[in-house]
Amino acid sequence: MDLNQALRTDAAALLSDGRARLVIGYRAGGAGDDAARRTPFFITDPARCDALVYDASCRQNLASYLRKPEVRARSLVAVVAPPPVMRSLVLLAAEAQVTDSLVVVLAVGEGVYHGVLDIAQTAALLREKYADLAIPAEVVREIERIAAMTAEERAAFWTAEFARCTRCYACRAACPLCYCTRCIVEKNVPQWISMAAAGHGNYAWNVIRAFHLAGRCTLCGACEAACPQGIPIMLLNGLAAEEAARAFDARPGYDPAEKPVIGSFKPDDKADFIK
Amino acid sequence: MTEPERQLAKPSAAFEPRLVAFVCTWCTYAGADLAGTSRFSYAPNVRIIRFPCTGRIDPLLVLKAFEGGADGVLVSGCHPGDCHYTSGNYHARRRWAIVRRLLEFTGIDSRRLYFSWVSAAEGRKFADLINEITAKVRAAGPFEPANPARRRPWT
Repeated sequence: MDLNQALRTDAAALLSDGRARLVIGYRAGGAGDDAARRTPFFITDPARCDALVYDASCRQNLASYLRKPEVRARSLVAVVAPPPVMRSLVLLAAEAQVTDSLVVVLAVGEGVYHGVLDIAQTAALLREKYADLAIPAEVVREIERIAAMTAEERAAFWTAEFARCTRCYACRAACPLCYCTRCIVEKNVPQWISMAAAGHGNYAWNVIRAFHLAGRCTLCGACEAACPQGIPIMLLNGLAAEEAARAFDARPGYDPAEKPVIGSFKPDDKADFIK
Repeated sequence: MTEPERQLAKPSAAFEPRLVAFVCTWCTYAGADLAGTSRFSYAPNVRIIRFPCTGRIDPLLVLKAFEGGADGVLVSGCHPGDCHYTSGNYHARRRWAIVRRLLEFTGIDSRRLYFSWVSAAEGRKFADLINEITAKVRAAGPFEPANPARRRPWT
């Protein structure tokens, strides 16, 4: 039985025997456009599970819907999750945002189906089969290229990139880990980050967004895919992830009992930059 | 000259760097106080802002300082193990490690951002540190008006 067939059978079984009240997956097509596109698919009727698909074009991180109250009210929610999304779910469990009484995982990989898993089983699968999920090679190469520039060149590069930001916050909406009910950018007493879609406000938003994901980001790439302006957000996420891994051995999303990287500490943390 | 004009003005020959030091009240602020009562002279370029703890010094404050045109920023607090609140400086240390990489990567020269531990007994260290940082920031020059982190007047 191939991946999609197994996925459809399990999803329909979950809905029909009442173990799940909602399945979130992907289907082909979108609002009247090409069939190669994959869009989120919310299923409550087992008969509709036949349209479920999973392949490499499915880039949206479906765990991001779990912060919505209307979704949370329909527990159990089954989520189709490739490895980066599984990591998001395990991290959300570590941060007490999801539990086994909210979510069940329909674990998929490249061409394989891993079955219906709970959080602990998902973490075990990740450690066993996907322990070496690294920062994408092209992101690492681009980070190295920019890091080799002078400070002025880097400033010029990011000025041009951030200038395009319209502050639509699609990056935030696409990210399952941006679950604050009131984001720092909306706090205006005082106004921490300028709301104007220009200049230093764009800089502060993009940098602080990356900082708030440091040691948490599972590098699923949904934010960059969602950005209508093509800002290379993954460079910032990748850099923060690289540093969190280098300095603090951060491996977010592999252990539902892990402590947050920023928010915990070790007395012997390396800090050679502090005089 | 209005503030935006002043910020955008070409650096004059006599460039004096503006440093902002975010310090914790229990150690570095007391250390700065000791530097004063001990009559150590140090560069007058630093504006000291006192916080209860380095754990309270949000990276947004550093960004705010650069937005407003600080040429350099120092964040300083108690040595590891000495935090008045037990662990505030340990938490701060983790944040700094990430923040400094992000700021450097996005175009803020590493010569503009400093972190240190200065205890209440280290008046000499504080005075020397401010002198050293002032010299380095002076060498780096004014924080470029074109930097993406910098607030600019509407055009």
